[in-house]
Amino acid sequence: MTAKSFLAAWNEFFFAEQSPIPIALFRVIYGVMVIATLLLMRPDWTEWYGPHAWVSLPTMQGVEPGPRLNLFTVMPGTYFWAQALFWVFLASAACLTIGFLTRVNSVVVYLCLASIQQRNLFILHGGDTFLRVAGFFLIFAPAGAALSVDRLIRIWRGREGAEIRPRRPWAQRMIQFELTLVYFVGFCWKVAGAPWVEGSALSYIYHLDELQRFPVPSWLLNPTILKLATWFTLVLEFALGILIWIKEIRYYLLAIGLFFHLCLEYSLNVPMFQWDVLSAYVLFIDAGDLERVWNRIRERVGRYFGERITVIYDGGSERLRRFANFLGAIDIFGRLSFVDSRDSASQGAARVKGARNELVAETSLGARHGSDALRTVAAAVPLLWPVYVGLGIQKLFKRAASVEAS
Amino acid sequence: MARKTKAAGVEKELRQKPLFGLKRWQYVAINGFLIFHILAICCWCMPFGSPFIAACRDALRPYFVWSGLFQSWDMFSPLPKSANAYMEALVLYKDGSTTIWSFPRMEQLTLTEKYSKERYRKFMESVLDEKNATLWPDVARHVARLPEIRSGGPQKVLLVARWSPVVRQEDGTFARGPWDEHVFYSYDVKPEDLQ
Repeated sequence: MTAKSFLAAWNEFFFAEQSPIPIALFRVIYGVMVIATLLLMRPDWTEWYGPHAWVSLPTMQGVEPGPRLNLFTVMPGTYFWAQALFWVFLASAACLTIGFLTRVNSVVVYLCLASIQQRNLFILHGGDTFLRVAGFFLIFAPAGAALSVDRLIRIWRGREGAEIRPRRPWAQRMIQFELTLVYFVGFCWKVAGAPWVEGSALSYIYHLDELQRFPVPSWLLNPTILKLATWFTLVLEFALGILIWIKEIRYYLLAIGLFFHLCLEYSLNVPMFQWDVLSAYVLFIDAGDLERVWNRIRERVGRYFGERITVIYDGGSERLRRFANFLGAIDIFGRLSFVDSRDSASQGAARVKGARNELVAETSLGARHGSDALRTVAAAVPLLWPVYVGLGIQKLFKRAASVEAS
Repeated sequence: MARKTKAAGVEKELRQKPLFGLKRWQYVAINGFLIFHILAICCWCMPFGSPFIAACRDALRPYFVWSGLFQSWDMFSPLPKSANAYMEALVLYKDGSTTIWSFPRMEQLTLTEKYSKERYRKFMESVLDEKNATLWPDVARHVARLPEIRSGGPQKVLLVARWSPVVRQEDGTFARGPWDEHVFYSYDVKPEDLQ
């Protein structure tokens, strides 16, 4: 490999633009993981982070000296502030999940996550560490470029069209790199330990009472089976650490990795670790494949939301074009198709008279205009159901007012 | 063939959009960021014992510790835990009575409790490690401050470790060994601890 070809490969890997859907989907799953972690810690929050926590702040600073990104060192050490941090963290994680002020909230979530982990390093497992380091690189990623409220706002304001613009994936690559490192470094540590090499490691682990979750069939706990499983773990960790970069075998490895983590989730009590790690698998799935899978789901699920609706809008109106783009982005189950009434090829204008300066919803029952059109559309799009309810209530009030007047 | 076509596509993109639409300083800065972090993270967490790597780790420590990028991926390795162990606190009261306070033990919890109390398992594991002896006074103080303990007037808190090794038997199977115990820390409760 020459320097020139290496540079081309480097550039292609880190900078060739690609769909931001995988990183956006990771953002959603990541946010859910953070929220779940927080809610699981809620009952003992002040036991770990309150003014009279199991480990005091001075002890923690004595054990691990040096400056750290840790909000506890600048916050007053009271119950109020410990609780406030929880609620700010939870709100920010929820905003990150839905992609509202994504960049700001990715920073806030990282700050809060780093703070609680720095505050007590003695209660962390590998899943927590992965969330932290992935959160660091998520700050730099275009995580709000798709599947986000931010994108809807940009469409609403006319700053973005219906198409999702491709982005440079360098920050996503760093999270992928971190995931492969989890496996590869794990593999390196394991081959340095005699119980892993001789095949007895899992026999020890499955005899630890504190780690047992659901009962495992006794034949699976046979020393020979556990020996094979120990070696399989080594092979899999190596494969997921190195071979996952080979596109041709990637999906097979991801499938085996998924099965492996689900088995661990069933049998071992290390809450959230498996899900934290699995969350990043989505980054290894091609955006085109994600779209194909989603299209299949939307086809199957979408039919339960009634017939498809044709939305006819006046493309000459900037406001209506933006609104149509907005509806297109929010229509997750593909219940709407769009026709520009000024587009001669679509014959939309010929089909519906009066589609100038307004939005028309065409169904098998005929065309609906104005707020009726909006209500019809809202009924078909799950994310607009609150609007549907709101419009229904508004209509009820209007009807009541007209009855009263007559 | 496909790879050649892709490479040609990237070269074409590079010609059309020099530096992938980035300004030169942005391209250099991002590459510097990437190269530094890839090398630094590898250096930090790879289990290599060379003096050069150790020196690099020392140099990186302030940044990694500050930013929260420190990481280790030695789950269950190199040696998996080979003993069941848990911890209890034996509390001696001023009136001469005693009580035993138990930390949440995973094997005695329901599934939902296991999810929310798992931090105690990890914490107990840390506390039982002699390397973390600096935690012991805090733990003893916290036990003394628990409402049900404080109300009785605690005078002394003893931290007790109980363990049972997982032993390999002659036929190659594994079994839990007999339980053993020892007091690993004793703390005299001061009046200010209960404030």
